[in-house]
Formats: sequence, C-alpha cells, structure tokens
Amino acid sequence: MTLLRARAVARSFGRRVALEPTDLDLREGELVALVGPNGAGKSTLLSILAGALSPTDGTVERHARTGWVPQRTAHYGRLTARENLVLFARLEHAPLAEVDELLEAFELPGDVRAVRLSVGNRQRLDVALALLGSPRVLLLDEPTAALDPAQRRRLWELASALRDDGGAVLVATHHHEELEQHADRVLELVEGRLA
Amino acid sequence: MILLLRKDLRTLLRTPVLLAVLLAYPLVIATLVGLVAGYASSKPRVALVDRDDLPPQIVVGNRRFDVQRTIDEVGNNVTLVRGLDAEEAERELESGRLVAVITVPPGFVATLRQMVQSPTLELAITRGGTSSRVRQQVQALVYQLNRRLQRAYIDANIEYVRLLLHGGRGKFLGEDFNVLGLEETQRELDALPADERLDRIRQFVHDARLALAQTDDALRATAAPIELHELPRRGRSAALSAQVQGYALALTLTFLCLVLAAGALAAERDENVLPRLARGLVSPTRLVAAKVALAGVVALVVGLAVAVAFGIAIDVSDVRGGEPWLRLPLLAAGLVVAGASIGAAGTLLGGIARDARTASLVAVLVVLPLVFLGLIPREVFPAAAWASDALPFTHAYRLFDASLYDLSPWGPVAREAAWLVGLGLVFAVAARAAVARPE
Repeated sequence: MTLLRARAVARSFGRRVALEPTDLDLREGELVALVGPNGAGKSTLLSILAGALSPTDGTVERHARTGWVPQRTAHYGRLTARENLVLFARLEHAPLAEVDELLEAFELPGDVRAVRLSVGNRQRLDVALALLGSPRVLLLDEPTAALDPAQRRRLWELASALRDDGGAVLVATHHHEELEQHADRVLELVEGRLA
Repeated sequence: MILLLRKDLRTLLRTPVLLAVLLAYPLVIATLVGLVAGYASSKPRVALVDRDDLPPQIVVGNRRFDVQRTIDEVGNNVTLVRGLDAEEAERELESGRLVAVITVPPGFVATLRQMVQSPTLELAITRGGTSSRVRQQVQALVYQLNRRLQRAYIDANIEYVRLLLHGGRGKFLGEDFNVLGLEETQRELDALPADERLDRIRQFVHDARLALAQTDDALRATAAPIELHELPRRGRSAALSAQVQGYALALTLTFLCLVLAAGALAAERDENVLPRLARGLVSPTRLVAAKVALAGVVALVVGLAVAVAFGIAIDVSDVRGGEPWLRLPLLAAGLVVAGASIGAAGTLLGGIARDARTASLVAVLVVLPLVFLGLIPREVFPAAAWASDALPFTHAYRLFDASLYDLSPWGPVAREAAWLVGLGLVFAVAARAAVARPE
C-alpha cells in the first residue's frame, strides 16, 4: 500500500528551478535512500513531501501521519526539550504521554533549554519531535550529520524498526556506506531531477 | 494561537536583559525627546542696550517705578544680556548669538516723566526660530509696563481734574501753578448779583462739576475696556499633563510592540520553526495573529504600569485635571487595540526581514521617524500629518489622550480605535503574505 504519493511535484524559487517535475511513491515496509550532490534538490523534495513547502506544480497525497526531520534543527532554543515536545505534541494533537517516552528513548535532558544542548542532542530532539503522534512515514533530511557513530546506529535501528512495523522511511544522506546496509532502494537526485 | 502566545510570553520572560532593554530604551528616548523639547523652550538670549542710563527708580506722576525689578521680570522669560553697547549688540544679533535686542533710546526717561508723549523702546529681532516667541514676550512686557504706566498717567490726569474741581496748587512740565477750581468759581459767582449772563455761567460751572465728578471711573474704564484677571493656578503641571502621559504611552508602546512583534515573528524563521509550523500545525494567519496578540498583551501590561505610575504621581503631587483612575478600564481597552495595531505593523517588518536581528534593527530604525511624523503639527507640514494618519502612532496617542482627558471620550476613542483596527488589519494581511512567502 502506498503511504505517500507525489506526482509531478516541482518547485521553482523565482527563475531558479530547484526541483523538476518528480514522481515518487513510498510504500509500506520500505526504507528508501535519497542521494545526490549538494544543491540537487533533496531538501526541497523532502520539504514538499512533508508539507512544509508548497510545490509550484504537482500534488502530494499523504495516506498516513508523516514525521519530518529537517536538515537544520527546527525547534525553539529558549524552551527546554520537554517544553518543545509538549508544545508540538499539543499542536500535532499527539498524546502528551509520548513526551516522556521520547525523552527517555532519545536520552534527552528534559529540563535543559534546547539552545544549551549539544548539536547532536538538538538533532535528536528534532527526531523526537518528528516521532510525535507515532507517524507511519518518516522523512529524514541528512539526520546523521551531527551524530556520533553510536547515535547514528541507533537512528538507523529506529528507522528499520519503523519499516519493519509496516511504515515507510525516506532518508536523504551523503553516507553511501550506510545505504547498502539499510536501504531497500536508492533514488538519486541530480540538478533537480531523479536520475 | 494561544499555545504560541504562551510560548512567546515564556520566551520573553526568559530573556530579562532583552525585556529590560525593551522597557528602558523607550523611556530613555522619551526622556531625550523631553530634553530636546525643553531645549526648544529654553530662554532665548535678548540684549538690553541702555542708551539713556536708566536710573534704579523713576517717578511718573505720583508713582514710583522700580526699574531694576521690571528688568528682572523680563529675565523670567528670556536670558537678559546687559552691558553691551549698541554696536556689540548689533554684531551678536547678526551672528545669531542673540535673538533680539531691546534698546532704550536717549531721552526715554525724560519723555516718560513729562507724560505728554509716548516714549519709544526699540526692538531688533532675528528671523525664524524663536523670534516670534521673543516678539510675543517683548510685546507682553511692553503691555505690562503700559498697564502700570496707565495707572500713573490716569492718576495724574485725575489729579488735574480734581484741581479743576476743587482748586489748589499743581505742577505741569516742571512749572508750578495755582488753580481756582470750579467749586470756588461757583462760590465766587454765587456772591455776585443775579444776572442772566451770570446765571448761564453758573449753570455751566454746575454742569462741569457734575461731569468732572464722573471722570475718575470713566478714565480708568477708557484705559482698560477689558481687564484680564488671572485666577489662581489649577489643573495639572505640564510634566503630569494628559498630553505628556499620552505621548509617553504611545512612544513606549510603539517602540516595544513594533520591535517585539517584528523580532518574535522573525525568530520563528530564525529558529527554522516556520516550515515545521507550516505543515498544517499553525496557519500564517494564526501565526501573525499570535504575534499581534503578544503585542496587545505586552502593551496592556506595560501601558497599565505606566498609567498607574502616572496616577500615583498625580495623587502624590495633589494635582487636578483628568481622571487617572476612573479612566483606567477605557485606557486598558485602548492599550490592547493600540498595541495590537502597532504589533501588526511589527509583524509586517518581521515577515519581510529574513532574520530576527534584521527585523529588530529595521524596527528600531522605523520607530523614530514614525514617532516624529506624529509630532509634527498638521498646520506646519500637512504631508507629514497625512503620512502619520496612515501609521498607528498618532492614532494611539490620540486614543490615549482622549481616554485620559476628554470630557466625552467615546467619540474620539471610537474613531481612533477604528483607525487602529483598520490599520492593524492592513498590516496584518500584508504580514501574512510576507510570512507565506517561501524562503
């Protein structure tokens, strides 16, 4: 079953074409890797799939709750990790009980303001935010960039577990060595076009 | 929206330095503006060139005038420069170091004492600046002197009339004279034998006596058809006036709400949260509304604090005028409306700017022209007033002023509130479009 379907999605910023018309299906139980050089349009595609950016053309159908981890950390620095999770849980209408579960699962200090967390912890906080509401689709935009090997391994375990539970994961990454081990299929984006 | 508002208030309280700066800065600006205004109303330098060697005292009629005291009274309104000769004063006037020169010409005192002709004071004055104010002050001074001299002149004239009535010894232009007087004339006439021609003279003398008996009041009334009687001072001092309070509130809130709303909205983009919110969690409309609400809440809290401080100062100083406490509920509603409207303008800046620093800087740069546009009198520069009408500061000031001071505030308050709501909607719609604009 297709959990997320994009048809002819394209995006331009002024005259600059960031993403050519692109089709993409994410099905139950698959982990898809999205690779490509910097500026190829990976983040643009993921943002469109996540609903954070409107496509200039094309449509996106989401048949399941979708979590998104953007490339750059996206949470409130002056709020604590717990306050960030509580705020977004309320906005997402997710159960507040998940907050403590996620804090524990990601070993995040709940009462420390996000701005004082390490870069790795901030990235983990973003992953925790993406998992609010138990999404079946997870979109990860270079999520392992600031993580140490142990954290990186844990994240792949999490993504694999989601896939094994019948979810779908799309990961944009530069780490080719991890793809062979985890990805079911690999998509390459070059100059805004799927190769 | 409530969630974001609570988040913003929590964030604000966690940045006490920012909060302190946001509160202190407009107060510093208000103080500086007050000092500049004070400088503008400081005493202009005016020279008194005495070419007649004025004595310390002058006797006119039977009245003695203290020249020094009169000159000191002039010094209450201007900084009086004495001891310059005519040439020095002329040079300083041309160089702009003096605003005006009052010259007492030779023969002034002698002419004054003779009470036959009006002596002349000469006034040389620069153009523009404070010259019109100095001219008014000198005219007021001459008016005051004339009023005192009138009394002396009238007393002297009445004395002559009394001499005509009752007879006796008098003095005119330094010459002594003896007057028979109408009463004595009538007695002399009555002693003469009856005669038709003498009877006509007797009748004239009788009528003249009656007429001259009324001269006293008539002369005084002619000299001053309308008298201005100054009542004991009432109402508030200038420092506590409703106008000052209105400006203080409008200036503080304009700075606070504009910078706060601009910074708060731009911070969403700065922290990269905007795309996350855009995923159907918070619409651009609600996001802008949250920042507008933040400005309204902060305006209410800070504005009420300022109003309460003014109210206490007014009570402590025991001054009258206005209703510092009764009007608080009306003022509170006005604070929310004005804060929200100014906040909407701030969200537009925050939406256009790509980061919080730029937004805050632009907001700070925008505040002063926005405020000063509102301070320019419409009659001086109408274009500035039209521009000011399209911005919330002037309407906020008028709203606060009417809320605190007008006897019937509802009309002006409703009108200014309508302006603020309308402007706020325009700014908010523009801000929404700016927020929805992609990176």
